[in-house]
Amino acid sequence: MRELIAAPLPGLDLRRHYGHHQSPAIRAGGLIFCSGMLPVDPHTGERRHGTLTTEAHIVLGNLKLLLESAGSSLDRLVQVHALIYDSIEYDVLNRVYREYVANGPPARTVWTAQIEAGFKIELDAIAAA
Amino acid sequence: MSARREIILPPGCAPNAAARSAAAASLAVRGGEFIFVSGLTAIDLQSGERVPGTTASETRLILGNLKQVLEAAGSSLDKVVKVNVLLHSMLEAPNMNEVYVGFFPDPPPARTVCGARLPDGVKVIIECTALADP
Repeated sequence: MRELIAAPLPGLDLRRHYGHHQSPAIRAGGLIFCSGMLPVDPHTGERRHGTLTTEAHIVLGNLKLLLESAGSSLDRLVQVHALIYDSIEYDVLNRVYREYVANGPPARTVWTAQIEAGFKIELDAIAAA
Repeated sequence: MSARREIILPPGCAPNAAARSAAAASLAVRGGEFIFVSGLTAIDLQSGERVPGTTASETRLILGNLKQVLEAAGSSLDKVVKVNVLLHSMLEAPNMNEVYVGFFPDPPPARTVCGARLPDGVKVIIECTALADP
């Protein structure tokens, strides 16, 4: 069974704001597959460009909102792909990231990629439902 | 509805084997019916020390470590469903592939290979998703 996880706040609906043909998340097989999370304002959908640190706080906050609205949480993450704009920021990412995944962090892979709209970070995540 | 989630900590492995900081990533996590393994770099699993080499030697070390991690999780290379391989240069894909074929059964798992800029001068990162023990 495949079930839509709707945006818990209007800003997290990237389909509505930016025409991205994607659902915020899909629940299937006991897991929640999230679309790439970006640093947008969860209320308005406005892009929130900043340093990697400020963008990472917004992205992880958005992911928290989305997962909790689906009855899951950051503590239930099983896999994260962290895309960053420059591998030199690896340690900066870790500093923020650790604050959000305190106990038993998920499996994770970090690499450098070109991210839409010139953002510095995007997180692709799977959590246990 | 709640799926099982469990951190896999293979005995004897350095806690920071998956990331420079042990708090940032677990080596592997069970979620539902799957084992998710972090992107592995060429390291000594026991000490967590980097073992830099060629694309071929790094691939061999990573897949040997992956085998160990999966077996500690009650899975195996034969139960892998998807592999993602990140290479510092796509020109090295044949060198990775030559080593890779020796580790997986026929038919092999689904796989994506792409070139990416990788942290710390590593040449290869390999992550995978495997079926867990029922």
